[in-house]
Amino acid sequence: MSIHIHHISKTFGSFQALKNVDLEVKTGELVALLGPSGSGKTTLLRIIAGLEFADAGEGSIQFHGTDVTNCSAYERKAGFVFQNYALFNHMTVAENIAFGLRVMPRVTRPDREEIDRAVAELLRRIALEGYGSRYPSQLSGGQKQRVALARALAVGPQVLLLDEPFGALDAKVRKTLRKWLRQFHNETKVTTLFVTHDQDEAFELADRVVVLHEGDIQQIGSPQQLREHPKNEFVADFLDCVMI
Amino acid sequence: MAAIIDIHPPRTVRPRKATAESFFSRWLIISTAVGFMGLMFVLPLVVIFQEAFRKGWEGFIEAFDDRATMHAIWLTLKVAAITVPLNTLFGLAAAWCVSRFQFRGKRFLTSLIELPLWVSPVIAGMVYVLLFGAQGLFGPTLKEHGIKIIFALPGIVLSTIFVTFTFVARILAPQMEAQGQAEEEAAMTLGANGFQMFWRVTLPKIKWGLLYGIILCNARSMGEFGAVSVVSGHIRNKTNTVPLHIEVLYNEYQFVPAFAVASMLALLALVTLILKTLTTTRRGAA
Ligand SMILES: Nc1ncnc2c1ncn2[C@@H]1O[C@H](COP(=O)(O)OP(=O)(O)OP(=O)(O)O)[C@@H](O)[C@H]1O
Ligand SMILES: [Mg+2]
Repeated sequence: MSIHIHHISKTFGSFQALKNVDLEVKTGELVALLGPSGSGKTTLLRIIAGLEFADAGEGSIQFHGTDVTNCSAYERKAGFVFQNYALFNHMTVAENIAFGLRVMPRVTRPDREEIDRAVAELLRRIALEGYGSRYPSQLSGGQKQRVALARALAVGPQVLLLDEPFGALDAKVRKTLRKWLRQFHNETKVTTLFVTHDQDEAFELADRVVVLHEGDIQQIGSPQQLREHPKNEFVADFLDCVMI
Repeated sequence: MAAIIDIHPPRTVRPRKATAESFFSRWLIISTAVGFMGLMFVLPLVVIFQEAFRKGWEGFIEAFDDRATMHAIWLTLKVAAITVPLNTLFGLAAAWCVSRFQFRGKRFLTSLIELPLWVSPVIAGMVYVLLFGAQGLFGPTLKEHGIKIIFALPGIVLSTIFVTFTFVARILAPQMEAQGQAEEEAAMTLGANGFQMFWRVTLPKIKWGLLYGIILCNARSMGEFGAVSVVSGHIRNKTNTVPLHIEVLYNEYQFVPAFAVASMLALLALVTLILKTLTTTRRGAA
């Protein structure tokens, strides 16, 4: 499923966090949103998920050609992995992962055995078999991160939005998870937009990279394009390469 | 180096002296606090039960074998049964507003929640009399339609709601503010509707605080005297709640019945105290 973002602006009080953003993520693409802290990455992701609404005006958001600008988060059902995990602390790991399936309307909801099977399969995928009955407080950061990912994936989202998925983890775990995500994306081809402020991560993982600065998109392109032809001073400086 | 040692005397002496001092002052503070509480709270409680059982169990039971007393208890239960659920809902809604939304006048609303704590209950009652009483603002209109609020159940419920509004909201608002709404947002992106989000995510997070608020709200709604006294008119078998009835009995020199009924309220306070301690521990543990 593709995502079209058209002329989106967002103002908090008198502060403009996003300025007329245009972006397209094609079906099955893995796109990285790269930018310094405070550049509006999380804000853009939240607007796509429907957790925040853009300024009223001409802006619009489409999922696969369908306008969802005024749809709520639960209608859009974009898989979202939060910067700080946001796991349900009073539920076990298995209950966390099963949540999205359990709140489905009765007609489409899988029965209990199917849910159990789906959870077991996801636990295997994130290499946390046997952790199903633990609580989030009993997990390490990297494990929480994977549970958050599994929880988002359980409902089979058409769009995956990841906010600094590996932000709080050490270099070694980051590398492993990075590989894991790339492989996972190759298998499933879910349209994915992920936020990072680490350019290595963006370049290694993404099909295309979007560079954001002060709410303004500076450049969109493949890692190679960006490296070889940075569009302006900021991109060149931020990516630490020379402008030609 | 030498100077430093001079400023800080040898460690072996200093700590012992310090503990000795703090032991004495601690003992003083604790015994003052315990003595004060014993005098102010425990002693009256003992006296209530002692007076209630002055004529033994039979006298105690006899006190409740009285139409006016049973009616007062029944009325108080009715008032609490209406007030507590309503204030639980109002409190949840107010706490939700204050903790989840940014809007103009939010600070004003926050202090409004605390209003019942610093406004005299008598004033709360007076306001309703001025609004709904026979000479009040809406008095004539209400009379035309045959609706009686003052000197009747609706007035008692209204003023009790006013006085007990604060508890659920005041306990939940800071708790919900501190917890944030990340989990609720996660639930929404997973396809949960508003009700599912509240029931499966918000409620489990706040349940002990909510229970705590409900317990306090209940205790106060059963025990409220001032505001209810103004609007009820003290009509025996009609608008006398338990606290008002106790006063009537006492003024009629029926000491054993007065204290027997009062001991019910005291018992309620003790149960509340126990439940409050339990929920507070659970809240701390959660
Ligand atoms: N609810 C809000 N109210 C006011 N300002 C906000 C709000 N949310 C975000 N902002 C502001 O918008 C700007 C962009 O914030 P955002 O969280 O999108 O940054 P980010 O790129 O995700 O940064 P980071 O890498 O640190 O997570 C920041 O300056 C922030 O202060
Ligand atoms: Mg962010």
